[in-house]
Order: sequence, then C-alpha cells, then structure tokens
Amino acid sequence: MDVHARAQDYTESELSGMIEDESELTAGVRIVPGRSYGFFTDTTVCIGCKACEVACKEWNNLPADNVGLSGHSYDNTGALSANSWRHVAFIEKHTGQDGAPGVRSTNKTPYQSGWLMLSDVCKHCHNAPCLEACPTGALFKTEFDTVVVQQDICNGCGYCVPACPFGVVDLNTLDGKAHKCTLCYDRLKGGLEPACAKSCPTDSIQFGELPDLQARAEKRVEQLHGQGVSTAYLYGTPGAPGATGDLGHLNAFFLLTDKPEAYNLPSAPTRPANRVAPSLAAGLAAVAGLALTALFAFNRRS
Amino acid sequence: MTEMKASTLGPEEAPPAPPSATGGTLGQHREWQGPTYYGRPQLKQAPFNNWVVGGYIFLAGLSGGSAILSALADWERMEGTARRGRYLAMLAPTLGSMLLVYDLHTPQRFYNMFRIAKSTSPMSIGTWILTGFSLFGGLAAGLQFLADRMPWRRWPRRAARAASLPAAVAGAGMSTYTAALLAATSTPFWAATPRALAVRFGSSSIASAAAALSLGERPGPRQRALDAVAVAALAAELAAASGQHRQVEQAGVSGATEGRWGQAERIGATGIGTMLPLGLHVLSLAEGGHPGLSRLASWAILGGGLMLRVTTLGVGDVSAQRPETSFRFAQPDNLPEGKPRRRRLAAR
Repeated sequence: MDVHARAQDYTESELSGMIEDESELTAGVRIVPGRSYGFFTDTTVCIGCKACEVACKEWNNLPADNVGLSGHSYDNTGALSANSWRHVAFIEKHTGQDGAPGVRSTNKTPYQSGWLMLSDVCKHCHNAPCLEACPTGALFKTEFDTVVVQQDICNGCGYCVPACPFGVVDLNTLDGKAHKCTLCYDRLKGGLEPACAKSCPTDSIQFGELPDLQARAEKRVEQLHGQGVSTAYLYGTPGAPGATGDLGHLNAFFLLTDKPEAYNLPSAPTRPANRVAPSLAAGLAAVAGLALTALFAFNRRS
Repeated sequence: MTEMKASTLGPEEAPPAPPSATGGTLGQHREWQGPTYYGRPQLKQAPFNNWVVGGYIFLAGLSGGSAILSALADWERMEGTARRGRYLAMLAPTLGSMLLVYDLHTPQRFYNMFRIAKSTSPMSIGTWILTGFSLFGGLAAGLQFLADRMPWRRWPRRAARAASLPAAVAGAGMSTYTAALLAATSTPFWAATPRALAVRFGSSSIASAAAALSLGERPGPRQRALDAVAVAALAAELAAASGQHRQVEQAGVSGATEGRWGQAERIGATGIGTMLPLGLHVLSLAEGGHPGLSRLASWAILGGGLMLRVTTLGVGDVSAQRPETSFRFAQPDNLPEGKPRRRRLAAR
C-alpha cells in the first residue's frame, strides 16, 4: 500500500500527541460518524500469528481465558468468548489429492490450501439478533453502524447469548454482563483504526467503509479465481452465505475457501426476531380457542 | 494454474464452489455430515438456569391460565373458582418475578428492563406483559380480598370482575410469550418450531390452571367442568407436541432430543404430564367424576407442566452445543424463503 501523503507530517519517532485521523494513515479511511464501517477478513492471507488476538486483549484490557493447550492445531483460544473478541481458527487438512487420510498432499494450490486460518470476530450484523433481543437497550447500533453492549446498562439477562446465530456474544459470570467485540468503538471515536486490523501484518483483517470493503473483496475474489483458487467466495456480503434469513449483510465479512462449517460458521443463519409474531399469534390463537372451550364447559356444567 | 482441480482442497469430500458452498448435498431429516470445527459447539447455549427459568415459565403459564379461567368462571357464576383463580394468578407476579430477577447475572439492575419497550424482543414484550398482568391481576386479587371481607358491599365484587378482564387478556400473553421468547433465538430446538412450541406452552398453561383449580374444588359439577377443560387442553397439547416433534425431525434437529433431556421430555412432559392425565381424566369423567383419579391427574398435569418447560430448555441447550445439529439447522432448506409455505392449523 502506498504511504499516505500526510505521513510526512509525522516523521519524529516520538510524537507529542495523538495523530489526528490516524486511521487515514494506517487504513486509508477517515472515520466519520454516520457512515458504515466494518472488517473484511481475507483468510487467504492469514498466517495465524494471532497478533489480532493479542492487540484486542491489550487494547480492551481483556484477561486470558484459558492458559493451556487444546490439541486443536495451534488454536488454544478455542472460541470467541466474553474475554476473547478475536479468535484465530486453524484448520489442518490431512487428506491430500493423492494421499490416504492423515497424509498431507505435497501438491498444493496457492493460498492456504492445506492449512486454513481465519481470524473470527463479531459480525456486527445489519439486523443484529443480539441487539433485537436485548430487553434493556444495552445493545445498540453506534454512529459507525456497529453493534456494542453498554456495560453500564446490561443486567446480565443473557438473552443475547442464544440470540446470536454465530455464537459470538458471551456472558462473563464474574461481572455478570454480556461482552463481545465493540469494533473498537472508543478507538473509532478517536479516529483510530481498530486494534486488530491495525496490528494485522498481512492485511488479512482490513478495516474500512463497508461499500469500499465489499468492492475490494469482490475484486479479491476475482483475482483469486484468476489465480486458480476457484473455491474462493465471500461470506457475509449481501446475498452471500452468512447474510441469509433477513439478517441483511454482515459488517464484518470474510473471504473463505472451504465450506463455512469448516471454519465453524453457519451456512444459512436466520433472523430470530422474525419468529416472534408467528409464535405469539399461534399461541394466542390456541389459548383463545381453549378459553372458548372453557366457557362452554363452565356453562354446561352439570 | 487454472487446471487445479477443486478436489485438491477438500478435507474429505469435494469442496463446494460458490455460491453452492452452502448447497444442500445432505439428505432431508439427517444431521450435518460435513466438517465441524474439532466438534466444538458453533453456538453458545443460553446462560439460563433451567430449573429457575423453567420454573418461571411454568408459573407464568399457571398464573396466566388461572386469570383466564377465573374471569370465565366469574362470568358463569362459579364464584369460589373465580376467587381461587385470582389468588392463584398471583404466583407469577410474586414468586415468578423473584425467579426472574434471581436468574439475572446482575440482578441489582433488574429495573433496566423497564428502560425500553421493543417489539423484536419477546423478553421486553414479556416484561410489559408481566407488568400489566401484575397490575390487573393484583387489582383483581386485592378487590377479591375486599369482597370477601365486606360481603355486604357489592362494588368490590363488581370491580374485581372488571379488573379480571384485562388480567385475563394479559394472562393469555403470560401463557404464550415464553414460547416466543425461546423461538426467537438461534437455538435450533427452539427456533425450529415457533408455532408448535407456543401452542404447546399455551395449552399446557390452560391445563395446569384447570388442574390447580380442580384440586381446589369439591367433587361435583364444577370439578368435572374444570377436568373437561383440562382434557381439551391436554388434547391440544398432545397434538402440538406431535407436530413439534415432526417438524423438529424435518428440520434435522431431532439429534438433540436423543439424550437424557429428550428422554425426560418424552417421559416426564409427554408421558406422565400429558398422556397419563388425559387417560385418567377420561376414565374419571366416564364414571361421572372420580375424585381420586381426578386428583391424581391434576397433580400429574402440574408436574408435567413444569417438566415441559425445564426439559424444553434442556433439549435446547443440547441442540446449541451439538455442531451436527446447529449446522444442519442453519442450512438453506431451513430458511423461511427456502421452505414451501405450509398454511395449516396453528399447531403446525
């Protein structure tokens, strides 16, 4: 990427203060309230370094979840949780084109064909099920079109946890509140790129304005197809897998090369709020019918 | 490079090409057969205490049903039944509310539930239904108390009857919104059958209320009338349960019902809680009302009603934890637009 012209204004190694609109220098985008921001995570260039996980933990002051080895490749984080808002998944493919199970292929297609890595994160859904479920208004849409839990309002009812079709939102039983990625709401307010995207050394995680990111992603898919990676596709852009069932689009979307399930992502999630009206109507109709039956039975008692 | 075959990529089977990356190669009714992420759960299970929340859902149904039946009983001049119904309806506003607050993970902030009203959140809808129910149900019970203390005054009785009507309307909400609450999540077992679950919960609520009120009656026409209501409600519940199980199977979620929670649901909620009392009540009514059979059936209904709520929560947890179930549920054939719309009875 080219260096922004404004970078010339900051040549000192020690700065006296914050760089105004720093995101313009690091991500090439100026953060303006009222516009839609998100992440484009291109898994084909992820190297599994987990800088995003570390940067996220550091910036958001999140404690370690579990210090130990899972035995699941290099993934010792396991899943997104109340304390882990970025999670790098590792998928090792043991069966090659010419090999028996357990034998790696020696002939690989380009880009992560034998070992998939994906930095998972909250998808910041357009019609966010967690937000729609939240009974206190603790979950809200910010001026950057992201979804955030207000910690001073959440009362830990936990309803957002089963509402999320991606298994992202989690409750911390120590503080009794729901937690998830805020897309660095505080950093966005200060004109900074989110910590994970800024720390990503391969630009697998790209931060930017959503229409811009989506166009960039489409181009990347075309490029990969041209390079022989016919399996590349987008997950979470309008009409694509992941953005199904009236969820709209996902502000944090992905470029994948295997089935969504391989990365622990659902193919066709749905919008839970669409089930409220049919459920209530059916239940009320049944109760009304039984009430009429009761009226009849009481009236004809003998 | 272009002759690179897609088959070099897949772990076990040929990898998909977009957009059929999500395409249905799996057979109907089966579990997800494709890759999972080390068998880890794809969803997070609800952090509810199943006995506490299940207990609340049961009490909400019992109270809501009691409010409905007591309003109807008053209309048909069954004054004792109406009185007991109004008092019984206070279970949800009192004990039930306490259970709800207890299950919050930051209970001292329970009042934040009253900050907003949101139609997409059945928990918010339920907050306001419970508030309205507590208000009118409490008013009806209070006025009933006054009427019992001052039998020479006519206004407390009339006022109690008037307050009973909005309480009954809110009671209908109390007995069903909890099903909508579960259905409006991503937990496969709950989300698979929004309608059948609500019919099941609603019928069970009426059955529980009729059973509890029947236990308060002396043998006679009133008890028989209440038992007849219970029979109708149990029949509706049974029909809804069979519809629910068929749909759960069609959605590919039935794997979650194979464990111990599912067994408890079949034996506790359907067997002991629905089929057994249905048979007992039919036997009793055929004899013109057998007090022993009626009482046994009523207790079975109440126990089964509690089991239905608790086991529904439990099976839901299992369905969220099993990636084979949640991935299967999140396939395109289960999308609302991917499904041929069936317009049949509410129980579907």
